[in-house]
Amino acid sequence: MLAKTSPEIGGMGHPIKRKEDLRFIQGKGNYIDDVQLPGMIYGHMVRSPYAHARITAIRTEEAKKLPGVLAVITGEDLAKANLAWMPTLFHDKQMVLATGKVLFQSQEVAFVVAEDRYTAADAADLVEIDYEELPVLIDPHKSQDSDAPILREDREEKSNLIFHWEVGDRAATDQAMKSAPVTAKVNAFFPRCHPAPLETCGCVIDFNSATGKLTAWITSQAPHAHRTVFALVAGLPEQNIRVISPDIGGGFGNKVPVYPGYVCAAVAALTVGRPVKWIETRSENLQSTGFARDYHMEAELAADKEGRLKALRVKTLADHGAFNAAAQPTKFPAGLFSICTGSYDFSSAFCEVDGVYTNKAPGGIAYRCSFRVTEAAYLIERAMDVLAQELKLDPVELRRKNFIPPEKFPYSSPLGWSYDSGNYQGALDLALERIGYNDLRKEQAEKRERGELMGIGISSFTEIVGAGPSHTFDILGLKMFDSAELRVHPTGKAIMRMGTKSQGQGHETTYAQIVAQELGIPAADVAIEEGDTDTAPYGLGTYASRSTPTSGAAAALAARKVREKARKIAAHLLEVSEEDLEWEPGKFSVKGAPGKSKTIQEIAFAAYTNFPQGMEPGLEAVHYYDPPNLTFPFGTYIAVVDIDKGTGEVKVRRFVAVDDCGNIINPMIVEGQVHGGLTEGLAIAFMQEISYDESGNIQGGTFMDYLVPTAVETPHWETGHTCTPSPHHPFGAKGVGESPNVGSPAAFVNAVVDALSHLGVKHIDMPLSPWKIWQILKDKGVTQ
Amino acid sequence: MTTKRAVDITVKVNGKEHSAAVEPRLLLVHFIREHLALTGTHIGCDTTNCGACTVLLDGRAVKSCTLFTVQADGRELRTIEGVGNSSALHPLQEGFKEKHGLQCGFCTPGMIMSACALLEKKPHPTEEDIRWGISGNLCRCTGYQNIVKAVQYAAEKMSASASQA
Amino acid sequence: MAIKIEKSFQAPEPAADVWKILSDPRSVASCVPGAQVTEAVDEKTYRGVIKVKLGPTLTDYKGQAHIERLDDQNREIEIVGKGQDVRGKGSASMKMTGKVRELPAGGSEVITISELNVVGILAQMGNRMIQEVANQMFEQFTKNLRQRLQQQASGAVGSGPPEEVKPIDAGSVAVSAVRGLFKSKPKE
Repeated sequence: MLAKTSPEIGGMGHPIKRKEDLRFIQGKGNYIDDVQLPGMIYGHMVRSPYAHARITAIRTEEAKKLPGVLAVITGEDLAKANLAWMPTLFHDKQMVLATGKVLFQSQEVAFVVAEDRYTAADAADLVEIDYEELPVLIDPHKSQDSDAPILREDREEKSNLIFHWEVGDRAATDQAMKSAPVTAKVNAFFPRCHPAPLETCGCVIDFNSATGKLTAWITSQAPHAHRTVFALVAGLPEQNIRVISPDIGGGFGNKVPVYPGYVCAAVAALTVGRPVKWIETRSENLQSTGFARDYHMEAELAADKEGRLKALRVKTLADHGAFNAAAQPTKFPAGLFSICTGSYDFSSAFCEVDGVYTNKAPGGIAYRCSFRVTEAAYLIERAMDVLAQELKLDPVELRRKNFIPPEKFPYSSPLGWSYDSGNYQGALDLALERIGYNDLRKEQAEKRERGELMGIGISSFTEIVGAGPSHTFDILGLKMFDSAELRVHPTGKAIMRMGTKSQGQGHETTYAQIVAQELGIPAADVAIEEGDTDTAPYGLGTYASRSTPTSGAAAALAARKVREKARKIAAHLLEVSEEDLEWEPGKFSVKGAPGKSKTIQEIAFAAYTNFPQGMEPGLEAVHYYDPPNLTFPFGTYIAVVDIDKGTGEVKVRRFVAVDDCGNIINPMIVEGQVHGGLTEGLAIAFMQEISYDESGNIQGGTFMDYLVPTAVETPHWETGHTCTPSPHHPFGAKGVGESPNVGSPAAFVNAVVDALSHLGVKHIDMPLSPWKIWQILKDKGVTQ
Repeated sequence: MTTKRAVDITVKVNGKEHSAAVEPRLLLVHFIREHLALTGTHIGCDTTNCGACTVLLDGRAVKSCTLFTVQADGRELRTIEGVGNSSALHPLQEGFKEKHGLQCGFCTPGMIMSACALLEKKPHPTEEDIRWGISGNLCRCTGYQNIVKAVQYAAEKMSASASQA
Repeated sequence: MAIKIEKSFQAPEPAADVWKILSDPRSVASCVPGAQVTEAVDEKTYRGVIKVKLGPTLTDYKGQAHIERLDDQNREIEIVGKGQDVRGKGSASMKMTGKVRELPAGGSEVITISELNVVGILAQMGNRMIQEVANQMFEQFTKNLRQRLQQQASGAVGSGPPEEVKPIDAGSVAVSAVRGLFKSKPKE
């Protein structure tokens, strides 16, 4: 289907080395904290120690007196400019600096600006704030109690309930549950975790009063959206705002929201009249920026005695913290959570989600999960294993019986999605073969006889990415299309600018490969630019695995537009009609006369020097792509674990990940993405949690307690692929960056539960720390 | 409130001597990044966990966020900028590129400096040696597998040229 | 973050002498490292300050302590205290029960049971740090109390406040907290 290009051209499928690496390996990346502007000053945030308290006084005199301090901004100051509150990405509002009261520990209360960062930190320590502690709401289950403190006094409705959302057929599902011969239930909590990219969030904001232009370097995964939000919130004309996201040190969704620090830095820049840099510390990042998950989920499955699924009923409590700062498409307060029917064919399903406020950091962002898909995949894959245990069926058999068969695609799920394509059996079969499943089960039986604990966990997940079609998707009203602007130079080289923004996904290489594929211009000759809103076409940014499905499609279509014009020029040069020409990557030849041809480079030159009369000179095209549907990557992951009976430590012995993301642009980059996502899934399953004690103190607010796996904990990942192209995508690709984070937590948890299922264990909530496992072992009397 | 005393220091950085008057509490990483404008060394945390700030101090891999600049007085510092450049990449830099050992690039300078120190001590490291050797450096993007391959590439290249020398 | 601390120590002095100090809030306060009574609101309520330094974080708690129960016969005292950091870094509250009993072989034993709740910056350091701070403070308190007892016995008591009691040194807390990590202690 896709023409194969030569390695010199480097189109689809070639594992070419990354073009962006050269600067990074020399330490010459340009990250936000590397930006130095003349006269630049530094901002430091003063934060609340209380989870819920009224502010009775703020005294800034001591701080202001410190030599080198240029300003101390409080919520009251911002309120005068109507900036104390700002809109979130999900139709709520959030305090920029606290006015009246604080709602979570580490909330921003005042912003100090000084000549250097040490002075700013000293001054922040001198700001005095009087608080009156208020009762704290930490348990979301208590948020609707009659005596629960109402957190949001600014809302008309005095309630801690943010939204109630439901989808599916409640009556049919209830009926199916009642009449089913077998039901299984699981209460699965997906703990609050944090994307923790290695570079924290920050900005440098510069206002040039002579030109009226505001330039903002921001760690942003969606620079255009940020620019528009800035324009609307600050009332600044959008043509005078330039947002630049240079190199970003990892995003994973953490850099999608607009943070109070950015707004404060902008206000400081405008009032002090000098460029302001604000870079948060790691603690601030973990304690106040967009967290992920915190979903309390309950799933019930109804099946017949042979294990044929009938219905799925899901009820979820979503803890959003103090403000609903989730980055979700407007119509989906629980994101794409309704993909929770997973890879299985259900006759009926019903899903409801209640979102509530608590005294915790705000958010609920998409952490490498395309809007709550990780939660959904985890829930269904855990529920399937619980049902398998109930029916005493092998979890593989249960899945096989219930996969949506290939002939049913496009498949309409009972919760409203039209899956474009899938071949779940194929991915499962390959994974089973690679891991040696049957031998492992034999080994497990033998080990059980000897009292050794070994488990195998399977996750056959379906993803839903590439948001999304304009009829259904928008963020704050901005439709989720994306774009590519391609220009070919006279010497046959090209530059392409995109509306997305890489934070390590390798766009400078992969997008170039798309052009290479479509036009035969070597990928090495195609420069890719992203992130500067003054030059890049409008897009909604990179997250939710959407770049390849949206901007990638735009790139292909823009290149095809260029190719169509190139055909006309070639016809003119070769003095034949367009129909007489045939294309292969890199050149047009006359049919039947292969010697008569023109390369794309010759055509490019002609576009400026020898174009047909009446034709517009130049060779370029821009395309804004409105995807007709989402794409549905999928896969099967299998984990093999051994549990140490003395310490409760779980060792991941092997992990096979079979992914199907349709046609692959660069297999080397895809493999790297899978390794990274699996490592994040490992961390979430075994070592990470952000929790709060009863007073609202955050636990897990630094890297001492919020553990990131090192090379020592991380096992060896084995990857494989099947290929089921997306039928609606211009080159059949689906996107893959998030699949490993989506599919892996269930594989790990299923493996550990499988290791202990013969002892009667049905479910264990993450993180599966050694202490937690050891306590279960002790409880079952099997510790060493 | 704090009187800003300045201490005179001299440090040799990537072979070049630098003298400066610094506050005693100035962290070495800030000195490198701001006073010397060598921004390849990065800051990723505030609890000495992540290693993005790793540099070589008298040949030893150290976390520059946990040292004061005054502690480097009279000593030799090597940062990523002193490891290699476009016209002459260090085998480690080559290895990271060849083996796709980086994605966002933020941990990369620190990783390379740690790996440098490791290969100095263990020119023929096993995979386990490498994983322990870089266990003070966190990476969120790669899952470490290709970083290990990158270091193995460099080890092979360096020992091949060492045996030819 | 709620922490329960039970500590006891023995002193050679008779229970009555120990009780004399323990039942007087001003005397007790003078033994707590970094603490100072600033005002007596009434005979059961006192206002004061206490400085706690942990690493670079210096918190000046200003608060109030109230004697909930004073049982001269059984030599038991219950104090409830609550303070807030003057700059707004957090708060702490504590309920302490102190009991003195006569030892059969002579001397006395002091038993204290405290429930401490910390909110804010210090609490972020985690359970183990707070436990260590509390341990260190209690050890210092015990030392100071012993010193006071000896002064009282030698007749030196009442001659003004004792020498300035310094707040706990962060370095030693950090070191013992780290050491504590390597002792086999189950986590909550």
